[in-house]
Amino acid sequence: MKIAVLVKQVPGSESPLPLVSSQDWLDESQVAYIMNESDNYGLEEALQIREKNNDGEVVVVSLGPDRTQKVIREALAKGADRAIHIQTNENYPTDPLAAASLFADALKGEDFDIIFSGLQSDDLGYGQTGVILGELLGMSTATLAMATEILDNKIKVKRELEAGYFQWVTMSLPASISVQSGCNTPRYPSLKGIMGAKKKELNVVTPSVGDQNQSIKKIYAPNTAKETVMIKGSVDQVVEKLVTIFRNEIKIT
Amino acid sequence: MHDIYFSFAEKIVLGLGIILCLASFIYEVMRRLLIVFKGLGKLPFDRTGARLWRMFREVFLHEKVVKGRFWPGLMHAFVFWGFVIFGLVTLEHFAKGFGVTLLSLKTHKVYTMIVTPFSILVIIGILALAYRRFVTKPKALGKLSPTSGLVAFFIVVLMVTYLIGEREIPVFLWKINWWIHSVIILGFLFLIPRSKHLHLVLAPINIFFRPFDQPDHSTVNIDLEASEEELDDMLAGLTKMTKNQALDIFSCVECGRCVDVCPANRGGGILDPKHHFILDLRQPLLDTKDVDVLSQINVEAGWECTTCQACTEVCPVGNHVEKSDEIRRLEVLVEGKVPQEYQKLFTNLQETGNTEGATTSPLADRLPKFSSDKEYVLWLGCFARYELDPEFTKSVENFTKILDVANISYGILEQEHCSGDPVNRLGDKLTYSMLRKHNMEQLSEAKKVVTLCPHCALNLEKEYRKYDTVSYTVEHHTQVIEKLIIDGRIQVNQTAAGKITYHDPCNLSRMLDEVDAPRTAINAASDNFIELPESGKNTLCCGAGGGLWWKKETTGRTHLVRAEQVVESEADTVVTGCNFCYGMMNQGLKPLTPEGRNEIQVKDLADLVAENISQ
Ligand code: SF4
Ligand code: SF4
Repeated sequence: MKIAVLVKQVPGSESPLPLVSSQDWLDESQVAYIMNESDNYGLEEALQIREKNNDGEVVVVSLGPDRTQKVIREALAKGADRAIHIQTNENYPTDPLAAASLFADALKGEDFDIIFSGLQSDDLGYGQTGVILGELLGMSTATLAMATEILDNKIKVKRELEAGYFQWVTMSLPASISVQSGCNTPRYPSLKGIMGAKKKELNVVTPSVGDQNQSIKKIYAPNTAKETVMIKGSVDQVVEKLVTIFRNEIKIT
Repeated sequence: MHDIYFSFAEKIVLGLGIILCLASFIYEVMRRLLIVFKGLGKLPFDRTGARLWRMFREVFLHEKVVKGRFWPGLMHAFVFWGFVIFGLVTLEHFAKGFGVTLLSLKTHKVYTMIVTPFSILVIIGILALAYRRFVTKPKALGKLSPTSGLVAFFIVVLMVTYLIGEREIPVFLWKINWWIHSVIILGFLFLIPRSKHLHLVLAPINIFFRPFDQPDHSTVNIDLEASEEELDDMLAGLTKMTKNQALDIFSCVECGRCVDVCPANRGGGILDPKHHFILDLRQPLLDTKDVDVLSQINVEAGWECTTCQACTEVCPVGNHVEKSDEIRRLEVLVEGKVPQEYQKLFTNLQETGNTEGATTSPLADRLPKFSSDKEYVLWLGCFARYELDPEFTKSVENFTKILDVANISYGILEQEHCSGDPVNRLGDKLTYSMLRKHNMEQLSEAKKVVTLCPHCALNLEKEYRKYDTVSYTVEHHTQVIEKLIIDGRIQVNQTAAGKITYHDPCNLSRMLDEVDAPRTAINAASDNFIELPESGKNTLCCGAGGGLWWKKETTGRTHLVRAEQVVESEADTVVTGCNFCYGMMNQGLKPLTPEGRNEIQVKDLADLVAENISQ
């Protein structure tokens, strides 16, 4: 089983997020980057499949400038066998189709059985790259995976639907699957892993980035406002209104 | 009774019996000692005077045994003192069997007068202990042990036969009595090394070798440039016990005192230090005849430990009981199995140097910065710096107010990183070494460091020293405050209202050995100070130690047990000397305070002193 895992380096949730003066991107020099959360689960899913089958290869693939190699090393330390870094300059594509095309070019000769990606990136959050990549490479695709099970030449995927429902789908391999955070328990790199990561193969490719179909015009923090509503009436009326609010606005089920 | 004749056949039987039982005794003891000698490191002989003095107090005077559990402890002391006195009696007894007279009639008579009351005390002692074990059955003693019953019976028979032997009775009866006494002593030799009664032999030795510092865990030196073989060797060493640790395992008397005091256990956790850290490892040692057994420690139990060292403090045979460090470092460094909340903590520390992953600290921005003309580096620690409990900021400011009143110059380090206490305790020795190296550089100009956090103090002062040469000294703020009061540099008035109690932080009392300074300061500010039931070096952990502050899902109620004691003490104010204890008390007390009672105030010592200081 040959598995690719897409990982992305994104700003950490506690990181400061100052903007550049043109207001169309972050001032990256001040951002603390980490591995995208759901990608970490994708990596763990791949490693567990490899361990269960006692055979196979896990290749971590990442797109971005030099700094990206930090998360690549982290994935190698956790146990990926080798890595491909699709190196770009600071203007890496923010458009999922452009990004997926670069991944497709880098991966198409490799014949992966499975490509795992995180459900979505914590910075841009399109949630499309994995699916588009699957389409470009002619693979089955599934999103929102909560669990996977390999049946010879097929993969069974448990998908999370709305309102607490799940769906099991069985697809033929090869498949590109985006996984949901929380679907497994990601490991921590062992000391041997960290030291061994330095010696693992890291293949850097530098394609030219083609046209993008969309670009970012302006980034800004949303204005927040507090709203206080007085609910008047008898106890029963108040309770009834509260329940409606809980159900329809706050969406407690 | 001095002219009893033993036949040649009797002498042969006796001689053979002694040789056989002694041989089996030596064989069993040596079997264990040979395993101990396979342990890493050396058995320490430094500070011999202090070690002998400690042995005298803890073995001969039975200090810990009696202090921990007064009545059973005293009963045990009776039995112990009796045994010591009986040494000569036993020699004389067997000498007689070979027709040798050791003591003159006169000396014998005098000695008998001393021994007789002791033999009565031994009988009282052992019957009381047997009553406790088989009738009262305290939980800590665990499963009923038939061997203990047998030993109690043996001891009573020994004493009774001794007393009978000193009476004028017909010769044949005397001889039967003599043989019963002999067989029981030989039976003892057979039984001791095979049971927990081996502590008779090993406890004194173990107490002599016990480390002076706690916690005492071997250092982990990580060289990221090391070759693969060197790394493998280093990792392989992590599963091996030290000689001291192996000796502990065979010395344990299974008394369960460590379980009784364990906050994790008392809070409903599965952790049982007697089994998980000691007895679970005994059979593996004997089976493998080697010390490569640390990986057998129960992992789940290991993560529950608050590393408070109450178990180590209370152990009467001198064991360093706690071994969470050993299993956690294996989980982190070798297995890469780390609970999710701790992975976040570790990443924060690696990326930002602080536990919260924060990038700014309003408190640090407000405080003066250290320069070499200032007397103290004021070490904040992540808890204060990133406001893990926002109310604690006030305590830091109260301490700086005290320093200002005393006219003492201080400043904070702008690039202070976490002292590394959480990662050190949670087994991530790699991140620990990163933080340690960073801080050592930052502290290069420091001569004196003061901090409100005992966890930081312990690491900066004692733990860093295990790896590097440290040129600064570290004081805890309670120690600085005490000194200022004694030197008259600040004037504190006894004006604090209400009943005040003090919660000893584990790291300050047990690990940094400081229990007096805070009390001096509290008594300067209040005339109504009461002690909590477990205080000083026998304090009960608040539940936050060992990195557990960051553990989100606490299944047990470790963190509430101490808060409950504070509520029961009826105190109006609880003072503490640790930011984590402060935070835990703040969280724990409110929901526990019964309705109608005033909210119990939580204060750091600096708050109490600053509120009652003359400007
Ligand atoms: S150190 Fe504290 S929490 Fe850990 S086993 Fe000992 S008594 Fe229990
Ligand atoms: S380790 Fe010490 S305190 Fe715990 S059971 Fe053994 S002898 Fe008692």
